[in-house]
Amino acid sequence: MRPKQTTLRLRGHSFAPERLLVMAIVNRTPDSFFDAGQTWDESAAMERVHQVIADGADIVDIGGVPAAPGRQVDVTEEIRRTAPFISAVRGAYPDVAISVDTWRHEVAAEACAAGADLINDSWGGKDAKLPALIAEYGAGLVCAHVGEQQPRTRPFRVSYPDVMADVLEQTELLAARAVEAGVDPACIVIDAAHDFGKNSWHSLEVTRRLAEMAATGWPVLVSVSRKDFIGETLDLALQDRLAGTLATTSICAWLGGRIFRAHDVAQTRQVLDMVAAIKGDQPPARAVRGLT
Amino acid sequence: MIIAAALCPSPPLLIPGLTGSASVLPELRLACEQAVAELVAAAPDIVAVVGSGDQTMIWDAAARLDLAAFAPGIGGAVLAPGDDPQEPPATDRGSGLPMSLGIGGWLLDQARYGGERLLQSVAHREPAQRCVGLGADLAATPAKIALLVLADGSACRNPKAPGYFDERSAGFDHEVERAVREGDLGALSVIDVALADELMATGRPAWQVLAGALDDGRLTSEIRYCDDPFGVAYLVASLRVELSRAGR
Repeated sequence: MRPKQTTLRLRGHSFAPERLLVMAIVNRTPDSFFDAGQTWDESAAMERVHQVIADGADIVDIGGVPAAPGRQVDVTEEIRRTAPFISAVRGAYPDVAISVDTWRHEVAAEACAAGADLINDSWGGKDAKLPALIAEYGAGLVCAHVGEQQPRTRPFRVSYPDVMADVLEQTELLAARAVEAGVDPACIVIDAAHDFGKNSWHSLEVTRRLAEMAATGWPVLVSVSRKDFIGETLDLALQDRLAGTLATTSICAWLGGRIFRAHDVAQTRQVLDMVAAIKGDQPPARAVRGLT
Repeated sequence: MIIAAALCPSPPLLIPGLTGSASVLPELRLACEQAVAELVAAAPDIVAVVGSGDQTMIWDAAARLDLAAFAPGIGGAVLAPGDDPQEPPATDRGSGLPMSLGIGGWLLDQARYGGERLLQSVAHREPAQRCVGLGADLAATPAKIALLVLADGSACRNPKAPGYFDERSAGFDHEVERAVREGDLGALSVIDVALADELMATGRPAWQVLAGALDDGRLTSEIRYCDDPFGVAYLVASLRVELSRAGR
């Protein structure tokens, strides 16, 4: 029998298995791929936090380093970009879970001290000191599959005999390593990391087979917003990928994904509420048709 | 005895279905097809396909590229309606054939070549001297061999490139192109191995096999394609061995 999905705990926050969560992207970078520095300014970033929370975000994911290669951002600078801002968000919204998008334990330490609840290690466990640090703070950890890819590089002719088998093996291994380091299993999330160490065919395959990840029992993070595999599938530029993103989101939600990292929070919230209603996990907001 | 050689890159996008409905770089594919057609027309006893891989070895000549490793689901619908999405479909496991040799074999198939083939991979980390030696061994074979070399230049030609931009890449690739164009293959045998690795020029070992195979021959070359449309240097060339040597 397959393990059941259970409650996810991120420090003081608990999320029931039926609740589909929106993780809103807030970049503290001048050069991230989609928003291109719109929230580089701190007040603009806080404005975005206000907006995404009003739009229904459950988690705010704060990042200080873009995924793409480019200008180097060292630890000091990454901390400077993220930690004070996390502290400000924590002060303004005690009930919202805060995630930090980093692979470096030094950054995670400062972020947790500032109030972060979850470390979104989207480069797949490159820093061996990260799990113990997270255990110390009682925070959550995202265990992501990136194949052999190094941080801030692009995939180059990657191939897998079976990409989903590799995703399951690598994420399970990272999760086991985290548990061994003392991380509470209720705080661990897995992520196929679409586009990371994958070509578009691979990202489509992991989408198609997302149920295999959900079957592990670990909560599954789905990070697909505006990504290149959607752009390549539809032959559309960044600004035109919302429909593709939402289509992918709904499929992943149907197949058992639980957390959805998004640029377009209001639309993602609607899709997830719709899917949750179709699944029967959530009642319609207002149903009177034929009932009056 | 080497009677002719062709140089082609080995990006997966050469295989039409892998790029989906779009036709990507048809001119590159055409150049490769023409180079391979000329190679096959030389009526060799064996076509030796040489490309880089994880290890140096000879593969089963019947092995083919595992397309599903690059494009899972490319064969059609993966899930039929009513299938349990939690049960993964059965998939054919590939032979493990390196991509370079798989592309080479595919090009031979496209050319309807039905003769004998030798699939030789050369390890990415193989030292230059070993690569040159492998080429010399091929050249010493009594049979008439046509050499199909799959080799790619740097992958760092611009900021959109797989390896991002490295200002050394253009000079590196120009030197390879010059060496091939002028028949100065000795220059390929002394390529800076560390630099080639840094520039993600995966073709380095295969170029050096080519250099070893044709080191004393008089050549004329035709460059059929030389460009870097996705930030990776692709070079297609036909290398014609002068008759006095080929008939020796």
